[in-house]
Amino acid sequence: MSIAGRIPPWIVSMLLALAFWQVAASVGPISDSSIPTAVDSVTTLVQLLGQSETWIALGQTVAIAAIGFALSLLIALPLGILIGLSRFAFTSTKFVFDFFKVIPPIVIIPITILALGPTFQMGVFLVVFGLVFALAIQTAYGVRDADPVLLDTMRAYRQGIVTQIRYARLPSAASFIAVGIRISATAALVIAVVAGLIGGAPGLGRQLLLSQTGGLADQTFAIVLLLGVLGVLVSHGIEWSRRKVIFWEDR
Amino acid sequence: MTAEISIRNVSMEFPTPDGVKHVLNDISYDVNQHHFVSIVGPSGVGKTTLLRLLTGLMKPTSGEIQVHGERISGAPKGLAVVLQDYTRSLMPWLTIEKNIALPLRNQKLGKAETRERIESSLEEVGLSGTGGNYPWQMSGGMQQRASIARALAVRPTILVMDEPFASVDAQTRFDLEDLVLKVRADFGITTLMVTHDIDEAVYLSDEIVVLHGRPAGVRDVVVVDIPFPRSQIETRNDQRFTELRTHVYAMVRGLE
Repeated sequence: MSIAGRIPPWIVSMLLALAFWQVAASVGPISDSSIPTAVDSVTTLVQLLGQSETWIALGQTVAIAAIGFALSLLIALPLGILIGLSRFAFTSTKFVFDFFKVIPPIVIIPITILALGPTFQMGVFLVVFGLVFALAIQTAYGVRDADPVLLDTMRAYRQGIVTQIRYARLPSAASFIAVGIRISATAALVIAVVAGLIGGAPGLGRQLLLSQTGGLADQTFAIVLLLGVLGVLVSHGIEWSRRKVIFWEDR
Repeated sequence: MTAEISIRNVSMEFPTPDGVKHVLNDISYDVNQHHFVSIVGPSGVGKTTLLRLLTGLMKPTSGEIQVHGERISGAPKGLAVVLQDYTRSLMPWLTIEKNIALPLRNQKLGKAETRERIESSLEEVGLSGTGGNYPWQMSGGMQQRASIARALAVRPTILVMDEPFASVDAQTRFDLEDLVLKVRADFGITTLMVTHDIDEAVYLSDEIVVLHGRPAGVRDVVVVDIPFPRSQIETRNDQRFTELRTHVYAMVRGLE
């Protein structure tokens, strides 16, 4: 195989996109605007990475996203399992959960700022609010999705409800939960950034706001690039662990 | 002969949006201990409903089912099942060994005894040494063998099979039928099997219950007086085999 053939396609497409950006911003149609070139943005990103403030902000954003995500799982999984086990609970809570699920966390920022201020806690609360309903519904769906043939088999072998939950309902729910987790993990990051950008919570979102209002275009774009890389890492990490945990799928 | 299972005046109705659907009407039949009984009938006649009643997964609208003279509520003790859809009744997240071990948990066996049950039942179905595999790493025929091994491991007194060989290819089907005959010779478990393959019913059974009508009743009980051991080549060419299958076939199609 030639050397070119051994380069992963994602590197090729990424380099092409950067090249397109560079050309468009230096000689192309947007060369008159304040949009920096790819080279300037990347250079600024490298400089930013040499500053401890950047790493602190990155750590704050990741911490808000991670803590919010973990709390959401802690609340949503047991709740979703309980709701999924009872047809009555499922049908009666579904409407309420669907209602809250579609409310974007951004619209409750004013209320949360009143209650909690532009703080770390406010960011965590927004993440939880943004994730918990969708995760709970997803879990409940998964629990309800357990194969009736499998459940019949277990009942015929006189296996109790606890064994049925442990060996049939939870593994069946796992693939639904995994989808929820994959979407939620990146959503947690987005909400953590929005909490800073709109609500002033600490982290990269606030840095973004400060760079933007300070007219530092290079730095604004550098932070966006950093967030992009972070998002890709998170989503690949989640996908990798999903394959390890739910090994019986994708065969 | 003593009756292991007694079906007494069992009727079954389901509520549907179009009114009550009457599926089974006043079914009575005794399954003798150590007998192999097949239930045949046209598609949709209620064969699987009857099996679900026998496994205690549903309660009849009227009448009752007794095991050793006691009315069942829920799955009776000593019951094992083999269902058509092995891909859905074996757990893909557990190895074959663990699939077999799961129903044994009720019996509170020691580690060594559990191990021994798993090994011996895998050996009985010709799957020795494959217990560490996941079901999806095996062929359909092997998965159905594994389902049978899981059933045997609980040392059942009653085995219920719902179309057990309907999802495998013809050659595998013959192999599995012969495996069932071997299991029968080795253990003499009282067995009820639903099938729509009439040849298979005649080949394996002591008695065939023919369901017919809407709601379904017992049209006839055919005694299969072909001696054991049976073999795919000789038994299926036997004149009595041909007579019986023609007779049963005609009843299932409503021609007799």
